[in-house]
Amino acid sequence: MQIPGQEKSFIFPVFVMGLFCVTILAGLVGTILPSLNFLPVIGHTKVSLSVWRDFFSYPGIQASFFVTIFSGITASFGVVSFAFFFISVSYGNTLWKFFEKILSPVLSIPHAAFAVGFGFLIAPSGWLIRMVSPSLTGFTTPPDWMILNDPAGISLTIALMIKEFPFLIMVTMGALGQLDIKETLLVGRALGYTKEQIWLKILIPRLYPHLRLSIFAVIAYSLCVVDIAILLGPSAPPSLAVLILKWFNDPDVGFKLLAAAGALFLFFIVLLSILCVYLIEGSAGFFLRPFIINGKRSSFLAWFKPVIFFMGMCIIHFTFISSVILVIWSLTWQWRFPDFLPATWTLNFWAKGMVASFDPVMTTVFTGVAAALLGLLLTIGCLEHDVNSRKNKTKNHTRYLQYFLYLPLLVPQITFMAGIQLLLVIMKMDGYWITLMLSHLLFVLPYMFIALSATYLAFDGRVTDQAILLGRSYTRVLFRIKLPMLLKPILFSFAIGFSVSVAQYIPTMLVGAGRFSTITTEVVNIASGSDRRIMAVYALIQQCLPMAMYAMAIILPKILYYNRKGMQV
Amino acid sequence: MSLELENLSILKQGSTIFDPVNLVIKPGEIATIMGPSGCGKSTLLSAVSGSLDNVFTLKGSIRLYGQDMISLPMEKRNIGILFQDDLLFPHMDIAGNLAFAIKEKTSRIQKNIIIDNALKTAGLKGFEQRDPSSLSGGQKARISLLRSLLAKPSALLLDEPFSKLDQTLKSKIRHFVFSQIKKMNIPALLVTHDPNDCPENGVILNLNKEKG
Repeated sequence: MQIPGQEKSFIFPVFVMGLFCVTILAGLVGTILPSLNFLPVIGHTKVSLSVWRDFFSYPGIQASFFVTIFSGITASFGVVSFAFFFISVSYGNTLWKFFEKILSPVLSIPHAAFAVGFGFLIAPSGWLIRMVSPSLTGFTTPPDWMILNDPAGISLTIALMIKEFPFLIMVTMGALGQLDIKETLLVGRALGYTKEQIWLKILIPRLYPHLRLSIFAVIAYSLCVVDIAILLGPSAPPSLAVLILKWFNDPDVGFKLLAAAGALFLFFIVLLSILCVYLIEGSAGFFLRPFIINGKRSSFLAWFKPVIFFMGMCIIHFTFISSVILVIWSLTWQWRFPDFLPATWTLNFWAKGMVASFDPVMTTVFTGVAAALLGLLLTIGCLEHDVNSRKNKTKNHTRYLQYFLYLPLLVPQITFMAGIQLLLVIMKMDGYWITLMLSHLLFVLPYMFIALSATYLAFDGRVTDQAILLGRSYTRVLFRIKLPMLLKPILFSFAIGFSVSVAQYIPTMLVGAGRFSTITTEVVNIASGSDRRIMAVYALIQQCLPMAMYAMAIILPKILYYNRKGMQV
Repeated sequence: MSLELENLSILKQGSTIFDPVNLVIKPGEIATIMGPSGCGKSTLLSAVSGSLDNVFTLKGSIRLYGQDMISLPMEKRNIGILFQDDLLFPHMDIAGNLAFAIKEKTSRIQKNIIIDNALKTAGLKGFEQRDPSSLSGGQKARISLLRSLLAKPSALLLDEPFSKLDQTLKSKIRHFVFSQIKKMNIPALLVTHDPNDCPENGVILNLNKEKG
């Protein structure tokens, strides 16, 4: 029996699918046309391949291409295989449980803030070298090493891996609930296999399909990252994504055509990489079969256990120390090399930074809150439609949503954002806050949906039935009973949405049309050649915004339901 | 002549899941439907309450005081239900849980009086501010019944409401529930697999399906 108020809920998933498809298609059209020399606003109307010729003959383009491929593929391959090894040796142990606890705060650290802190650690004058100087190294001046912005993109690659590892672990933790791990381990061990072997031979292959889309998203992200690449990646020539952004913002509008071609080329690289992985995974079953059934009970992996633990610890520590070094630098007045700590301290830079960053912070907060609220409305609408149509056995549009949900994470941000911006310019609609906020929504929504859906769908339907049978309308029951009961996961999803919005760099740079600066664009902009102390303050402010939202998500339910034991679980 | 099930049968993929049910429950009476698990007892209840899954189709009629129920949505039927779990709303206090069931137009003061009286009848005076999860199983069961009754239902359905209580509590709560239903003077339909649950002198119907 359909309850009044439920029948119109299909508009939510239909709207979301429409939004995703229209913006991505529009974005692709907006890059394809200029790449064919068609951009009437700047007087290019004769369709030709000249832009592509210019693109391929641009000085240093090959180096850009190679550094993009190297850092992107190495980082993705490295982090995915390490994540698999890490799960295999540490699932369920104390390190794993520790990871479960610190995952949300670690994930909430924006890429840019992490990259700034990481740079402060590994630079020739960074904290790591200070720790061992001059005692071990004998350095009294920073060594003349090209660590930051190294031409091969090694520091970029390492930073990407450290930042993506927690993301993969989070997705894994979500997927593990769908596997019968305990039983499999029991059966496998009864057959004499070690835990690691069972993971490698049985569980990882079964886990992979659940992680496939997330792994594709990691590949797309690594190939197209801009903010970390500006901060840590090579500069002459930079990686493709950075180059494209540089072209796009060039005062000479002719470069916009080149940017469009580059963005499209990057899209092809991503497509090709994902296709390769898809083909490899398809044949992996065939090639790995001998390994899986060879009957070997013990694993070489056991030898590497300490190494994998050590690397896992390194990742946690690097993330943690990157924040610590930011705090130290933000309070520094004078700090000579190779001293381990500053000689004199000050709060001056905080005072200066807080005043100077006020406007960008406000823009960040308003955009983030608006995008996350809208994201929440759409997520709950879609999930409610899912629940109702499952119950009423009516057409379930939310089921189709899963095919579209990952689209904004798979198509390179820079590709369709550049296209959308070009279309907005053509329609003279560029530079509005509302388009900026909507562009954030595209990336906020998938994460919010993924974060909320499991808990939301697991909600006991009898509670709502009971409430409706007490004579209350569907909407009243939704707002008085169901949503308040789900307050904690809803606030968490909100905090995730907000932190995703805070971290956005490309959408703000492109769709904001230079009229809006957020704390994130500021962090990246001041990074080149600016004072380390002011950089540290900005990076910390950027890091604090999502943290504050997570804190709220934890504390608010505790205050509101302090006397409700049933709500504390 | 109040809650009437006439030739009621439920079909799944074209075949009935039990023989047609004919039942008349007078106000204040409690009819019991018995049968092993899986015989369709709970499905029959959800047909009456209006939460029947769409995979089932309904034949026959359900009338409450002469009014046809089948065409009405769940929240318009004015039929209360009590499940084996108390399903108290964990984010509200006891008063909030009870107030949720009272008709909207009641004033706040009146609501408080109603709640106070209801709690007294259940021997739970002064429980207004308590957290639902701090209550014992028997207390929760009583609050859950009070909540269902405060919505002033025209009929009450009981879906194995005593099965999760321990033996000593069972008879006490059973007595409380039956006396409240008598007092409200509404027809009630109880579903159970425990013969001890059946009220004395009540109609008992065994749900079964003729073979072949």
